[in-house]
Amino acid sequence: MVRILRAFAWLRWRMLINSLEKTGARDRLERFSIAMERLGPIMAGIIMIPSTIVLAIVASAGGYGLGHGDQPSMFFEAVRYILFFGPIASIVGPLFLPAADRTNPVRLLLLPIPRHTLYAAQAATALGDVWTILTLPIVLCVPLGLAASGAIASAIVALAGGLLLLAVVVGLSALTTSLLHLIVRDRRRGELLALLFILIIPAVSMLPGLLNAERHVRGAARHRPAREEIHLPAWAVRSGAQIFALYPTELYVRSTRAIAAGDARTSATRLAALAMTAAALHALGMFVFARVLESPGGSGGRRTAAAREAWARTLPGLTPGASAVALAQVRLALRTPRGRSILLSPLVMMGVFAAVFLRRPGALDVGGVALNGGLGFAAFTSFICLVATLPIVMNQFAIDNAGMTLALLSPLSDAEYLSGKAIGNALIAFPPAGLCLLVAIAIFRSGSLALWSAIPLSLIATYLLVSAPAAILSALFPRVVDLNSIGRAGNAHGLAGLLGMLSFVVAGGSNVLIILAATTWLKRPSLVPVLLIAWCVIAFIISRLLFVIARRTFAARRENLALLLSDR
Amino acid sequence: MHTELAVQTSGLTRDFGSFRAVDGIDLAVPAGSFYGFLGPNGAGKSTTIKCLTGLLRPTAGSISILGTDPLADPVSVKRRIGVVPEDLALFDRLTGQETLTFVAQVHGIDPATSKHRSSDLLDLMDLKAAGTTLVTDFSHGMRKKLSLAAALLPAPKLLFLDEPFEGIDAVASRQIKDLLLSFVSRGGTIFLTSHILEIVERLSTHIGVIDGGKMVAQGSIDQLRAGAGSGKTLEELFIGLVGGDARVHAALDWI
Repeated sequence: MVRILRAFAWLRWRMLINSLEKTGARDRLERFSIAMERLGPIMAGIIMIPSTIVLAIVASAGGYGLGHGDQPSMFFEAVRYILFFGPIASIVGPLFLPAADRTNPVRLLLLPIPRHTLYAAQAATALGDVWTILTLPIVLCVPLGLAASGAIASAIVALAGGLLLLAVVVGLSALTTSLLHLIVRDRRRGELLALLFILIIPAVSMLPGLLNAERHVRGAARHRPAREEIHLPAWAVRSGAQIFALYPTELYVRSTRAIAAGDARTSATRLAALAMTAAALHALGMFVFARVLESPGGSGGRRTAAAREAWARTLPGLTPGASAVALAQVRLALRTPRGRSILLSPLVMMGVFAAVFLRRPGALDVGGVALNGGLGFAAFTSFICLVATLPIVMNQFAIDNAGMTLALLSPLSDAEYLSGKAIGNALIAFPPAGLCLLVAIAIFRSGSLALWSAIPLSLIATYLLVSAPAAILSALFPRVVDLNSIGRAGNAHGLAGLLGMLSFVVAGGSNVLIILAATTWLKRPSLVPVLLIAWCVIAFIISRLLFVIARRTFAARRENLALLLSDR
Repeated sequence: MHTELAVQTSGLTRDFGSFRAVDGIDLAVPAGSFYGFLGPNGAGKSTTIKCLTGLLRPTAGSISILGTDPLADPVSVKRRIGVVPEDLALFDRLTGQETLTFVAQVHGIDPATSKHRSSDLLDLMDLKAAGTTLVTDFSHGMRKKLSLAAALLPAPKLLFLDEPFEGIDAVASRQIKDLLLSFVSRGGTIFLTSHILEIVERLSTHIGVIDGGKMVAQGSIDQLRAGAGSGKTLEELFIGLVGGDARVHAALDWI
């Protein structure tokens, strides 16, 4: 068993080192691109060193305080809150790590290794996860602090509790990973799960902002009497507290506290519960892992798409080739979880915002941005629709994978190919934005027509200004991606994403300046559409000029793109 | 006698950093021939095809495809060639039918002709039922057949096929062989790489052998056989040219 675990540890180590040393870069720009990609994980690794040290100090101080009878100890309370997130991260984390980071267990079946050892090897990989690494100094240093205060017996019990907590975290991670393998084995189920997560995350991430917004509602709402606090029934509060006491980190914290206070019986009960939790999780994990090994390599029926004449049509104003490229881009977005999320997630956000607006009419502060009525709402949500396309727009060539080779082998000029991509991206970005605008008009129906017309004009100007830089960034920093992925495996190159976001902000900001100039300085809101139409014309000319650079950049990088895709 | 050449290179060289993948090769592929391009793994076959089809720029040398320089006028050359590359070059999220429609559109083929040709090709490749299935759910063999159908759809004058028979079942392989022979008999030219020497021997009229990035032999099968001595199979000829490893008999006695 130890020999096999050592072999797996070596395998992961070599894979890490090889990924850092053997980049396969073909020129300086690719080396730079790869270095930028790796900067994030390296920075995270560097940040982990002081974080680990701080956690170790806090945990030692917490243990020392407990040993000296400080109940509650401030530092130990801090430890409690930090540990709380460990089990959550061990469930959520595996969902967002690139699939490549997790070895496909079915392949391992070919090796002469017993199944329980395979499970142990897979579970042991969780020891290298960030949340496990951050849990480790805590569970080791609390006993150290206790021992330093002279409470040796308590330290031993705390160490046992800590190791059991680690076993729980590892068990949760292994179980989630196995469940994930089992779910994604069915391709349809996997794609559905990916889509659900991609849609849920933005909505959940908005909740704090929206809750904050509820508190900052201005105007008449400010003077309303405070609403009565909601009181849960006593049984619900009691049950909640009892359930929370069974949460793994709470079992660890309460066991350690009890032993430090001299209550060995309570401590032993909590430790036993923690041990049972760990055993149950690993038993369940082993069962699911066995199901993964027994199930076929892939399941689920073949996915079909109805033959539609519309896809065979040529878009007006484009050559047949450029039109084919544009329509292929749209179909990619419609048929991948990441693409669908780009189309749907702004609409989910819009639904949430619309619900909040309808509940509390008036102004809404979201992260410091005041959305005044329907115009603000429409501008914000439709701009989000444009920005949501970043993963596709800022990696517009490499997202095609082998399909790009087909395009490169086709009799398409670079201009045709780039214009097809630009139009395809626009077809992905504008329908959700248009829908947001229509919904806003339907809900609010107030405000000046001149200002309402500013929104579509601003979106057009923004897109015109961003489309050429997007093509340049996609050619300079391509990234082979998996648009079925939930996590960062579906994202554009980090630098392309960052610069792309900046270009959206700068391009969008120019429209805001024009609107402000007409409404605030010139005091003539009716001038807004006129000025924005003029700005659209200028943006079009700028875009044409920038596309000359984009074409040259693409021509210079097309070989690297082809090689990147054939090396994947 | 002057023979019209479909593919001609002179001193074609391609470097990757300090590594020379293709080292000054002079190809001469007669129009209307079935040219088998052979070589051991890593010899430079795929790099040569990539240079010929415009995916890679040569470091040095010149190329002429159907009388046109592909570096000077790539679009014109691509209109007249079909390619089944190593990675098969297919959009994962298009169906079989949509892939062919895409190819037809970029080649400027009118919808009626496109529909007719797609139907014929899907039928021939036994992909009719998979016409509405996304390529991502295709087996390797199905992808290969679709890639070949996509290469044939614009009715090219010259086909580049990189390992077209790899992963193809016997029935499909037979159909494809017949199709390719029919393509050549109608005046088309095929440039094919394959590791299956029996297939190359049966199909090819001309052969080029590359090893370590250098051309080690080129000519019609009869010319090469005559040079090597009569009665030799292509396998013996090939091993004689690139050097077989006899050590295998002596070593690994523990197996």
